[in-house]
Amino acid sequence: MRSPSLTPSFQRPPSRVMIRRASDYRGELASLLFESLREFHLPVRDKIVLLKPNLVGLDPYGFINTHPAVIAAARESFLRLGAARVLIGDGPALDRDTQAILESVRLKDYIGTLAQAFVDLNIDEVQYIALKTRASRLRGLHLPKTVLGADFLVSMPKMKTHHWAGVTLSLKNMFGIVPGSCYGWPKNVLHWAGINQSILDINAAARPDFAIVDGIVGMEGNGPIQGTSKASGVLVLGNDPVAVDSTCCRIMGLAPERVKYLAQAGTLLGHLKLDKIQQLGENIAVVRTPFTVLDAFSGLSV
Amino acid sequence: MDAASESNLVESVCLPFFLRAQNADGGWGFLPGSPSRSESTCWALLGLMHGSAGTGSQASHRGLAFLRASQLPDGSWPATPDEKIGCWVTSLATLTLLGFAPESPEVAAALQWICKDWPADSAPWRRFLARFSSQRDVAPINNAYRGWGWTPATSSWVEPTSFALLALGCAPASLLPSQAIQRRQLGEALLYDRMCPGGGWNCGNPNVYGVAGEPLAGPTVWALLALQGQKNRQENRSSLAWLEASANDMKAATSAALARICLQAYDRPLPAKSLRLGPLLQASDYSLNAQSVALSCIALGEQQLSFLPSPMTELRRA
Repeated sequence: MRSPSLTPSFQRPPSRVMIRRASDYRGELASLLFESLREFHLPVRDKIVLLKPNLVGLDPYGFINTHPAVIAAARESFLRLGAARVLIGDGPALDRDTQAILESVRLKDYIGTLAQAFVDLNIDEVQYIALKTRASRLRGLHLPKTVLGADFLVSMPKMKTHHWAGVTLSLKNMFGIVPGSCYGWPKNVLHWAGINQSILDINAAARPDFAIVDGIVGMEGNGPIQGTSKASGVLVLGNDPVAVDSTCCRIMGLAPERVKYLAQAGTLLGHLKLDKIQQLGENIAVVRTPFTVLDAFSGLSV
Repeated sequence: MDAASESNLVESVCLPFFLRAQNADGGWGFLPGSPSRSESTCWALLGLMHGSAGTGSQASHRGLAFLRASQLPDGSWPATPDEKIGCWVTSLATLTLLGFAPESPEVAAALQWICKDWPADSAPWRRFLARFSSQRDVAPINNAYRGWGWTPATSSWVEPTSFALLALGCAPASLLPSQAIQRRQLGEALLYDRMCPGGGWNCGNPNVYGVAGEPLAGPTVWALLALQGQKNRQENRSSLAWLEASANDMKAATSAALARICLQAYDRPLPAKSLRLGPLLQASDYSLNAQSVALSCIALGEQQLSFLPSPMTELRRA
């Protein structure tokens, strides 16, 4: 069962984050991702890999959810890297009809049959986990066994601003592992326990081993579902979700240390500071694409 | 797929699914082979009840025994067997039991619990504090209306409120606690307050930062079923119109089955070329879970829909 060790960030080795350009979803994403992932020497051979995309709602225009082309490319890449199985799992937060969301993003067209590949985390078997951290008022959570049983967990969010949390990237994306069949649609107990604090507790309980952010087309303004599309033309990936998210913030023209949960995550869950992140691929300054934020978060912009 | 073969889905897909997926303890998980839970057992029982198996099958009896044994001492049902606190599933379990044994003590205890389950966000002191919050205009809703949450002591949402209203509305008047009328009035008012501009419901956010929320099939159908007593209200009519207009875009079994159930309950004709459940249920077996199959059973089954809330006026007379 997954039980990530919590290491203070000052004791962690530097993290590695790679930025790759991808102008659209039609190109050779699979080979691009495969070549990129190979540089991380990930321990996935003969392992069960779980990809956790951000599938939050019906998405006729394709800028709310992680694009299926990116999900499919990641799946193919991990299989090529020797993974025994690559599952895709999410528990949409607002709409109980997961099949409707999958149909709206046409995941089947990219993956093929979903029966053996997709897990609806909202109705998965669950196990109660006492939380290791006390950032929120939560003492424990029921979490899906598919998540707890995965050998290698990959958070795959869309690059978006968020009207309650500032940004939603690989850490916030982990809200989707909390099962709706236990906590509802939306997962309101997390809001009551504090959104920023819950993000920390969930990630301390099930920290992703890797993150791949779909920033080819993201969302700015009133995200995560009512904002406007914003093309950054990048994929951001790395072995530390905090470092990946802070790099995304810098690309988005936002200061990661001003995002409440990210600043706190930088003390226990990974690296926030530039000098602790080995930047690979494109330079941040070259791909920087400022995102607009709601007035309530204007202080995040740099 | 024509109407005849559609109705055959109950016999060929739905009932075999439930018989195959029933666990040794009598309950059902959401998926075949997964441990029994109260909610999925309710869906299976409702599916069997509305399908041709009726209420008298052996599978139903065993399922009913599991459901009764899962009730907590305070009358509620938890989301998981190891949980000791009840939740919205109590309303669904009540609605289920009403179809089998409406006058049972389990139902009476559950109704008591439902009426005592107040959301915390609309408590008077919270409403007072909310007046001074900088966030008060972000998602403008009337907190004087109080419904039900997914979990106790949180916020009101459309679907759990609808389920609670259906449970209270379908229960025999003799079993209803004294607060039932007040709770129904507040709950119905909350649903109308949370309706999206133009009709339909989402989880309960009709407007955030000045942007109108988009309705969804599930919450819209459950709200409309809970508000059947006011079929001619403009809000009901516009929400029904949204549902009908959205039918062509429904590509999933759960939403399509729900839409059919609702249109039938409101005596509306089904669209000729959409909401066909056969292709949706058979195209991808990942879509088969206790809820989607049960809703398909209800939509296609021979039994009349059992969720018909009694008018509030009758309740007052009683």
